[in-house]
Amino acid sequence: MYNYTIKYTAENTYENPVFESFWQYIVTPQNNSTQELNSGLFTVSEDALVEKSINGYNFETTRIHTKKPFESIAFEAVFKLTKTKADPFKIDPKFTIEDDYKAISVLDFQVDYEAFLSTTELTTLPKAHADLFDFDMSKSILDNLKKLNTWVHEYIAFKEGETTSETLLEEILEKKQGLSPSFTHLLCAIARVNKIPARYVSGYLHQGDGFFGDSQMYAWAEIFVPNLGWIGFDPANNILTDHNHIKVTHGRDYKDCEPLKQLLFSYGEKKSKCVVEVTYEQ
Amino acid sequence: MLARIANNLFWMGRYIERAEHTARFTNVNYFSSLDAPNKLSRDRQFVLQSIYEMVGEEDEQDEVLVEQDVLYNIALNPDKHYSILKCITYARENANSSRDLISNDCYETINKFYHSVINYPKEYFVTRGLHDFTSLIMHQSTILKGKIRGTMLHDEVYALIKLGINIERATQVTHILQIKYNAAEQVTLSKPKHLKKSYEWTTLLKCVDSFDINRRVYRKPPTQSTVIEFLMLNPKSPRTVLYCLNQMQLHIAMLDPLKVHEKGTALFLIGKMRCEYEYKTVEDIQDDVKEFIAHTFSSLVELSDKIEDEYFYH
Amino acid sequence: MKPTNFKHLFSSYDGNENLFDEIFDKKQNVRKVYQKLFDIYNDQSIEEFINLNNKAKTSFFNQGITFQVYSDDKAQEKIFPFDLFPRIIDANEWKIIEQGVLQRCKALNAFIWDIYHDKNIIKAGLVPMELISSSANYLRQMGGLDPVGGIYNHISGTDLIKHSDGKYYVLEDNIRCPSGVSYVIYNRNALKRSLFGVFNHYDIHTVTDYSENLLEILESVKPKGVDVPTCVVITPGVYNSAYFEHSYLAKTMGIELVEGRDLVVENDFVYMKTISGLTRVDVIYRRIDDGFLDPLEFKKDSAIGVPGLFAAYKKGNVTLVNAPGTGVADDKAIYTYMPEIIKFYLGEKPILNNVHTYHCSRPTDLKFVLENIHNLVIKPVDEAGGYGISIGNRLTKPEIEAVKKVILQNPRKYIAQPIMSLSVHATYIEDCQSFEQRHVDLRTFTLLGQDKEFVLKGGLTRVALKKGNLIVNSSQGGGSKDTWVLKK
Repeated sequence: MYNYTIKYTAENTYENPVFESFWQYIVTPQNNSTQELNSGLFTVSEDALVEKSINGYNFETTRIHTKKPFESIAFEAVFKLTKTKADPFKIDPKFTIEDDYKAISVLDFQVDYEAFLSTTELTTLPKAHADLFDFDMSKSILDNLKKLNTWVHEYIAFKEGETTSETLLEEILEKKQGLSPSFTHLLCAIARVNKIPARYVSGYLHQGDGFFGDSQMYAWAEIFVPNLGWIGFDPANNILTDHNHIKVTHGRDYKDCEPLKQLLFSYGEKKSKCVVEVTYEQ
Repeated sequence: MLARIANNLFWMGRYIERAEHTARFTNVNYFSSLDAPNKLSRDRQFVLQSIYEMVGEEDEQDEVLVEQDVLYNIALNPDKHYSILKCITYARENANSSRDLISNDCYETINKFYHSVINYPKEYFVTRGLHDFTSLIMHQSTILKGKIRGTMLHDEVYALIKLGINIERATQVTHILQIKYNAAEQVTLSKPKHLKKSYEWTTLLKCVDSFDINRRVYRKPPTQSTVIEFLMLNPKSPRTVLYCLNQMQLHIAMLDPLKVHEKGTALFLIGKMRCEYEYKTVEDIQDDVKEFIAHTFSSLVELSDKIEDEYFYH
Repeated sequence: MKPTNFKHLFSSYDGNENLFDEIFDKKQNVRKVYQKLFDIYNDQSIEEFINLNNKAKTSFFNQGITFQVYSDDKAQEKIFPFDLFPRIIDANEWKIIEQGVLQRCKALNAFIWDIYHDKNIIKAGLVPMELISSSANYLRQMGGLDPVGGIYNHISGTDLIKHSDGKYYVLEDNIRCPSGVSYVIYNRNALKRSLFGVFNHYDIHTVTDYSENLLEILESVKPKGVDVPTCVVITPGVYNSAYFEHSYLAKTMGIELVEGRDLVVENDFVYMKTISGLTRVDVIYRRIDDGFLDPLEFKKDSAIGVPGLFAAYKKGNVTLVNAPGTGVADDKAIYTYMPEIIKFYLGEKPILNNVHTYHCSRPTDLKFVLENIHNLVIKPVDEAGGYGISIGNRLTKPEIEAVKKVILQNPRKYIAQPIMSLSVHATYIEDCQSFEQRHVDLRTFTLLGQDKEFVLKGGLTRVALKKGNLIVNSSQGGGSKDTWVLKK
């Protein structure tokens, strides 16, 4: 059992007053089999309406509406949750490698998992790189994915500054560097090309154990392995996800999971700063 | 009623009324000054400056005004926010955004009005068309207001248009009074005793189309005090401040009559001002006419701001 | 007494016998339903007719039934060209059309439900998954959402043509924000004013009942728990080319016409800002495209939408009409599957014909298309308004090569159809001061609600005013005619 405290803070300052603004944050950890949210507190420095709602994919959002002019605004969200270690998954020995590949070739399966099988703009593998990584059909899907996870980890360098969460794979593959969203996009892209459903996960990473992490939200992938279900892969750290990963939301790529969307009525320069602190007690 | 639409209806009323006043003021000043008894009153520069003052154009002090330019700017220049053409364009834009609420007849009239203005030949206007054009504007806006009254349901939509028309009219009447008072002062600068019977008072009444009515009320040539009394405090003539205040109260009460009991609401403030003017006499204001006119003007501006804040912005 | 220089209106009418003329048969005899109308028109001189035509035009202009055309940086107002010679559809023919479009709309509705739920038609192997997942109009946010009454395409516009075989074919299904219905009504009004006495000779269905039916449809899909719903029409604003129609519909339904900035979402309920505060809104007839509805869910830079609207919709606190995501089914590539779709959901045979369609995404079709462009119409699958269409037999050789290149860049984006011969109708052409044959189509309007359906008895007959032109869209220089559906 890990008792987590997550603090998400954002500060924005503007050259000219903002007359009206709308903000939508997707930063609240979800409840699932390994994590339970105990409390969530969202505060805004300015006079504003703060509401809990959902986005188009039923994940929790926090929506903020300001109606009075301001030149700077700060947000703070504090979440407390308990995280448990996931049970190690049991591989059913009755299930052969052949069954693995047969399962993903069934039409019903492909239709049901369509959203995470078809590519998006951010998970499109450039034609020139179509055969970057080949699956070894004599090995199980899980083994192939582990190998792929390692391969992605080694192919790209974890480096800040040159790319964003929305950089296309074409550029990532050329620069061979990026942050967790780009690692995740590449992993999803190759899994999907091989007809394995893969989804982008946005969340928090506890970096106490010496992991690579981003200063803000962190990204990894969940990939559907027949007979096992969705399994978390963290390609930036070359591990399977564990108690250090706190999930917020998932989607087809970064665009479905954007932590913040906003609409402002103002003009001129702006400055933004966002910091995430993740700590736990055992 | 949507707040944005209410705002548009209010301004539609204001712009229709504004166009009419600009047209009449230009017409009267231009033509009646041609044979004015006083030399300065006849001076073209003096007249043109007065026209610019009406619309708030800030010309350079020493600049010699060119008649054709001034007339074009006032009437048909699409780049001048105060031009009659622009007023009618705004009025129609406001009507466009609320055409689901106003009668077809009304919309058609405003639309035709707009097209007749937008297609008015510029060359003809600045050389020979001043009378024809300004008459057209006065005529069309009267018809339009008749359609508003005669073809629309007298509900809140109507009330908002009327509110706009009346607050604009009161403001314009006061503004014209201000301009003409200054003009009368200037014209009689060397002989201050003549101020009370200046020819400018006649022009002033004509500018608000009230010369004949005034004649029927007072049965003698206008003087400073009869004109001030008449335009400010007469409740029966349709182009006086008190008349407009009565109308404003009537129409704003149609929106939410209960607000009359609430201190500080627009309805309350209009009622307060109306009562004040109802029981004012010309003797009360005679000592400082200028100050009174200025006070009236700023009170009307404040009322308009209050209405907008209270009803149109949420 | 007729003037000595009397020239009959049809004296110079040149009937091309290769085309299906709705008024004249192959032997150039007037068809029976048009006989009376023809006699009346033919009794008029050109001068009289020109006079009538000008009056009708002025009337449209004064009423502000116009659209903006931008040229030389100046906005100009133009009226939609309107033709004073109406099109007549007899009762029997109309019965087929009405049943046919209703059948299609219901099948499409069932199809959209399926696509956003279990996707049975795909699992049955009848429609390829790829076609849906690659559609720009497929909104995954709609997955698993149950709209009130199960209705997605409350309002549909079905475009029909009459081919040279005298049969009706469906050209397109428009189920996003089909427009044009206000012109149907204004055309009728204009004709009533202009043609004194003609209406006495024909017993025709009214079209002015559209708005009351539309309002009933809107009210029928009110959110759960609402007693008397507040319905509104939302428009992108006065500069939208269909603004006239938006205001017309709001006015005739007696409901508010709002813009995005008039609405606000609080606690997942939608309110409009009125002079006395906030008023809850229950049903929104939206004339804004999906992507612009909510900047927090779709296009981030949409200034015409309402932040939070989609969440309110998802929670069932407001109904959007048409539902978001219907565009997936008016993709022209889906059109091809209509016979299968009708059979799958309704167990019926299609009443109206489909035009044979080649999918450039299929290798065999693509090959055929590339070899036969000169005999085909090439259409992009997700464009409306007649944009991006190439008609093969009008293209020069270099143009054909260019089209081939464009198709090959993204075959999924294109379909091809044989060049259909749209029927022609006598249309007054101002430049020639006489009637000439022009191609026409017919847009019908169908409404679906909870336990209610309605097909407008009439429609928008669109005319391609350029000689020989087959594209009738108003944005491409098309005009329109009043359409009379005869009573039995």
